[in-house]
This record gives sequence, structure tokens and C-alpha cells, in this order.
Amino acid sequence: MLVSNFLIEVTYLKDRVVISPTTRQEGHAELVMEVDDEGIVTKGMYFSITPVRGLEKMVLNKAPETAPVLCQRICGVCPIPHTLASAEAMDMALGIEIPKAGKLLRKAVAAAHGINSAAIHHFLVAPDVVPEDKFATAVDSVSAVRKVVQYVVDMCAGEGIHPSDIRVGGMARNITPATKERLIERMTAFRPQLEEHVEFIKNCVAEAGLPADLGVVNQPLLATDATYGTNEFDMDIFSEVLPEAWYDDPEIGKRGCSVIPLLNGENVETGPRARMEKFAGFKDKGVVAQHVARANEMLKNYDACMEALDAIDPSAPANVSYDKRGTGELGFGVIEGPRGTDVHMAKVVEGKTQFYSAIVPTTWNIPTMGPATEGFHHEFGPHVIRAYDPCLSCATHVMVVDDEDKSILKNEMVRI
Amino acid sequence: MPLGTYKEAVSARSTDKKILDVSQDGGIVSALLCYALDEGIIEGAVVAGTPDEDWRPIPTVVTSSDEVIAAAGTKYSMSPTLSVLKEATRQYGLEKLGVVATPCQTQGLRKAQAYPFTRFVVDKIKLIVGIYCMENFPMASLDTFATAKLGFDSLQDASKMDIGKGKFWLTKDGEDSGLAIKETHGYEQAGCNICQDYVAEWADVSTGSVGSPDGWSTVLTRTDDGSNIFKAAVSAGLIETKPMDEVKPGLPLLEKLAKGKKDKNTAERERRAKMGVKIPTIY
Ligand SMILES: Cc1cc2nc3c(=O)[nH]c(=O)nc-3n(C[C@H](O)[C@H](O)[C@H](O)COP(=O)(O)OP(=O)(O)OC[C@H]3O[C@@H](n4cnc5c(N)ncnc54)[C@H](O)[C@@H]3O)c2cc1C
Ligand code: SF4
Ligand SMILES: [Fe+2]
Repeated sequence: MLVSNFLIEVTYLKDRVVISPTTRQEGHAELVMEVDDEGIVTKGMYFSITPVRGLEKMVLNKAPETAPVLCQRICGVCPIPHTLASAEAMDMALGIEIPKAGKLLRKAVAAAHGINSAAIHHFLVAPDVVPEDKFATAVDSVSAVRKVVQYVVDMCAGEGIHPSDIRVGGMARNITPATKERLIERMTAFRPQLEEHVEFIKNCVAEAGLPADLGVVNQPLLATDATYGTNEFDMDIFSEVLPEAWYDDPEIGKRGCSVIPLLNGENVETGPRARMEKFAGFKDKGVVAQHVARANEMLKNYDACMEALDAIDPSAPANVSYDKRGTGELGFGVIEGPRGTDVHMAKVVEGKTQFYSAIVPTTWNIPTMGPATEGFHHEFGPHVIRAYDPCLSCATHVMVVDDEDKSILKNEMVRI
Repeated sequence: MPLGTYKEAVSARSTDKKILDVSQDGGIVSALLCYALDEGIIEGAVVAGTPDEDWRPIPTVVTSSDEVIAAAGTKYSMSPTLSVLKEATRQYGLEKLGVVATPCQTQGLRKAQAYPFTRFVVDKIKLIVGIYCMENFPMASLDTFATAKLGFDSLQDASKMDIGKGKFWLTKDGEDSGLAIKETHGYEQAGCNICQDYVAEWADVSTGSVGSPDGWSTVLTRTDDGSNIFKAAVSAGLIETKPMDEVKPGLPLLEKLAKGKKDKNTAERERRAKMGVKIPTIY
């Protein structure tokens, strides 16, 4: 379920507004805002309360092919970038050069998924920006968009949600000439519909009455590529700190469930707006700009998808056979997912995964999102959060269950 | 009702020599698939070819009449046909699919259609042509029949394989060698001994040789779609038919064998159940 139907707790302490969990996002997080007498946020802290992403541990000491299969389960909203990042990391860790057709199929899939994920986000933010009388139109448009692009993912990657055919070494199979033709035909017919959707969303956002400067931050940007992603990641500028060391409030530091990734010691902004600024000259910042960038990016992804589909040679091999033993070097899979840069790292020694780590897009954004609420009324807090389209479910809930009667003994890890 | 629900039973044969040259019986399976492809009723089909001509059935996605005909003829071993449905509906992009299936495979398909376990796969199936099936053999059993029992150097030397008139037949250099069916007992796959369905009761159209003269097939049309496609292929002149009561041995033999399978395999089910073995549900 995308829309959380848990009871939301909004607590007003003397000078604090706490929203737990924040809603219409994937997974669970808490937003704590310190406010002044007018209700203006003076300090915003956003942190994940969705703990333990055990998947990086589960893949250890297993065959390298296990990683993409398990790690795509990191998330049900952005499984495609996770599968791609995992496969790319393994390709590098095994020293594999995948064939051109395999890469093009991956690119087509990533771009189509980018459009799908943006459309899902439009559904999630519709109650914020779409007027009541246009709500049904918005939902229909989202569904229509998703149907076409998910079709592309289904055909190229085997399955629209958890793709079975993105494999270490390429793709399980190439598409047939007839399928290529059909995909291009449908995508071509789809262009006006997508343009209409993008315009519709941008108009809704423009008329939603959001303050122009809401959510403006000036953090360094993380974006490696306009669309697909490069497998380059500079470990030298990367560091991680624990939430205890990041949040001023020790209680929050204790409860925060994700580490804080930094580049050159600073928290960053990643996602569609960061990409558009870095690669397309987009200059605006803040909530409205994030919505606009995400909508515009749908068209960028459309072009990327068409370009890849067009270039695919259906008679060419889509995968290579490879040596499973591994190079022993760290391999990187860096994919530009809908919510930002998704970095998977893997090391394989003697055919078994020895190290695995994933820094998923929202993890990068978490330390940036809280402060982004500052300077405006706390009522706008959720708008700021949703503009990042956070996805915290990239984690596994852990409970202690009685062996005998399966009753839950301990679930304090699931703090909602 | 040993033959399940059906609309019409007829004896039939393809009128296309290209099909009859290679088909197992009356070429009904191939004729129906070719017709459905040409008419756009299906965009492709999953059949069991044997690309290495070694009798091992390999599920194959076909999209042209030539490919259908190249895969004609029975291979008496298990074809993992359902395993390629996904590829057929994905990388092949087929949105209207035909499948040739044994009774057990037909059951699997209908279950998959009834339960929401597969996404955008089985809803693409527009035509299931079921083939009658008394039992099926692992490849090692076929090798044994050819080499140890019929004295062939290799199974690959056989140009045709058939079961009929109480025997398992292999043809080599135009000469038929027969092995009494009771000699094959114990070599079939164990699951076949509790299988209740002889005539693909859940298919759109079912066909096999039993009931009709040599070179002809007995056809049972079952669903509206199956019946319409069959009738249209007859009207188009691709299939000729004879009423069942004008052919020998006719429907009584088919009914007898279908009932015989149910009775015998019900007894085996009961025997296994008594030993505490889990038995699949009958549909
Ligand atoms: C294991 C087995 C047992 C059978 N037992 C009987 C029987 O007891 N009595 C009877 O009357 N008929 C039986 N048949 C059916 C019969 O042998 C013919 O397949 C049927 O009459 C169709 O002939 P046709 O000339 O219409 O088809 P053709 O035009 O020759 O086409 C046959 C089609 O069946 C497909 N096929 C071949 N082998 C397999 C397989 N192993 N699994 C799935 N599909 C396959 C081919 O790809 C082709 O599309 C059996 C078939 C099989 C596979
Ligand atoms: S006898 Fe039954 S179980 Fe065995 S192959 Fe035929 S249909 Fe399947
Ligand atoms: Fe996610």
C-alpha cells in the first residue's frame, strides 16, 4: 500500500510539532519541527523510523546473482533502480562488460520506470495540489501514464514491479523485433498524453498556492547523470555519520534509523531537481521547483526511453557469460533513480559476496529535508517532505516472534 | 461424463498437405494454430518442438505457420511448456496467445487463470488446444524403449514416434517397430498414474487420434471460443470433418479409454492415499 493508513499522531508540545508518521510517502518517518509563537518552523528534523534494512547482510556469502534478486526487494516503489544498481555493482565487481543491447534494455527500463514513479508521486501529492473537481482527472491520468510505461518495463525486464530479467551480465533475453516495433508504436502514440499530463500537473502545482520560496535549500547537489546513471562514485569524499552524531536532540539521535551519508562532510540534495539543475540548466529551488523538475523529467525520461528502444538491435545478444569468481575489488552500481542517486557497492571474492552496501536516494535526502521546512509555518512541513517523494520502506521491519505460538514478543523496532 | 463437457465431437483432418506430411494424426493442432495465426485470433503460440531432432520436447514460441508446422508431431516426453509463457508474453510481446497443452498442463493454465498468481500472463491466452494423453515418459524411458527394448542404436534414429493399437511405435528407415504397451509400464512418470484426465477436459478444443481412423483426429469442441475457431477453420476449408458415428472405432472407444483411465487411476490414488501419500485434488 502506498498510502499509509496508520493513525497519524500530531503532537503539539510547547514549542514542537511532531508528525509521526509522515504520510503519503513510502515507509515511515517522523518530522519534528520546533516552532516559534507564530508557528514558524525554527528547526526541522526529519528522520527514518523504518529500521533495519537487512538485505545487505542477507546477500553476504552467497552467489553474486543473489544480490539483484534480493536487493530489488529493498523497495516496492523503486525496485527497478535497486535491481539495476545491484546488477551494475555486481557487473563491476566481477569485471563484466555487458553487451550493448543489454545496456540499452536497462536504459529503456530505467527511463520508463522513472516516468512510472513520477506518476505515482503525482497520485500521492494530488490531495495537496490538485483541486477537488480535477481529482478524478488526475487519478485517471496517472493510471493511463503508468499503464504505458509499465508495459515497457514488463516487456523488457519481465516484470513491472520486481523485474526478473535484469541479470548480472546483462538482461535475461532480448526483445523480439515485433516487440521493439510495438513498444515504439505505443510510446509514440503516448507522447501527447504524457505532455498533457505534465502540463496538467505543472498547472496544478502553480495554482496550489504554495509559497514561492518554500523548501529552498542550498545544499550541494548529488546527481551523476541526466538519466540512467554512471557507475562512478568517489569514495574519497564520502563519509557516513550515525544519527546520534547528526541530530542535536539526543532522543532523536537515538531513534533515527538511517545513517547520515555526507559528501565532503556535507549533507546533499538528490533527485529530479538536482539532476535538472546539474544537467539541464534548471535554476529554481524549493518545493514548487521540485514538483516542476519532476514533471519535466518525465519528458526527459520519455526521450531517453525512446532513444534506447530505437537503438536496440533485437538480434544482438543481451547478456554475456562471465567468470563468477570476482575481482576482489569494490564494484559500484550508481543509478539515477526517480528519487535520486542510488548507490550499491559490492565485493566478490571466490564467487561469494564478501561486502555489500546500498545508499538509497532518500537516505541522502533525509538530513536535508528537515531543515528545508524551516522559515515557514509548520502547516507547510508535510508539503516540503512530500516534494522529495521520500521512500523509507527501503528497509526491513524486525520483530521477535514466539517460536511456538507466533505471537509478537517485541516490536519496538517498528515504531509507528 | 468421461469426456468432460463438450459441444460437439467430430472426426477431422487438415486439408493442407504440408501439415499432413508432418502431423501426428489429422494435423488438427497445427491446422487450428495456423488458422488462428493467419486470422489474427492469436499472435503466436507455445508448442513443443525438438530443435535438435532428438525427441526431447523443447517449449517453443512460434509466430508463423512455418514455425507451427516445424514443431508438429508428438514427442512422448514432458515438455515444460508453461515455463515459457512468461517469455511469450514479455520479450515476445504476444498479447493473444495460443497454447498446445496436455490435460495436466491445461489444468495448470485454468488454475492460473482462476487465481490471481500471475500478472499479465494467462489473461493473454486466447486458445488452448488440448491433446489427449494417457501417460507421458521421461527421456530416459524413451531411450530405454529404443535401445534396450527395440534394439535401436539410438533414439535419434527414429523418424516417427507414436502410440496406437496397443503399442509404442518407433519408425526407422520407413519401418515400424512396436513395443507392447504393457512393456512400457513402470516407465511412465509416476504422476501420470493418478491423473484423471484423458481428453483435456478444460481445453478450448481437445484432440487426439483415438476414435478416428488412421490419419484422422477426434475433435471435441468445448468452449465458445474453441468451437467458433474450429467451425471457422472448417468453413474456410482448412479442415474437413466426418460425423463421429460414421467413423470406426468411433466415440465409444474414446469414452471407454477415458473412463478406464479415471477408474484405474482412482484406484491408484486410493492405494497411495492409504499409504499416507498426499494426493492432488481432482478437478
Ligand atoms: C505424451 C502424450 C501422450 C498422448 N497420448 C495420446 C493417447 O493416448 N491417445 C490419443 O488419442 N492421443 C494421444 N496424444 C496426442 C496425439 O499423439 C497427438 O499429439 C494429437 O492427436 C495431435 O495430433 P495432430 O496431428 O492434430 O497434431 P500436430 O499437427 O502433429 O501437432 C502436435 C502438436 O503437439 C505439440 N506437442 C508435441 N509433443 C508435445 C508434448 N509432449 N507436450 C505438449 N505438446 C506437444 C507439438 O508441438 C504440436 O504443436 C498424446 C500426446 C502426448 C504428447
Ligand atoms: S497422463 Fe496426465 S499427468 Fe501424465 S502427462 Fe498426461 S495429462 Fe499429464
Ligand atoms: Fe524506494
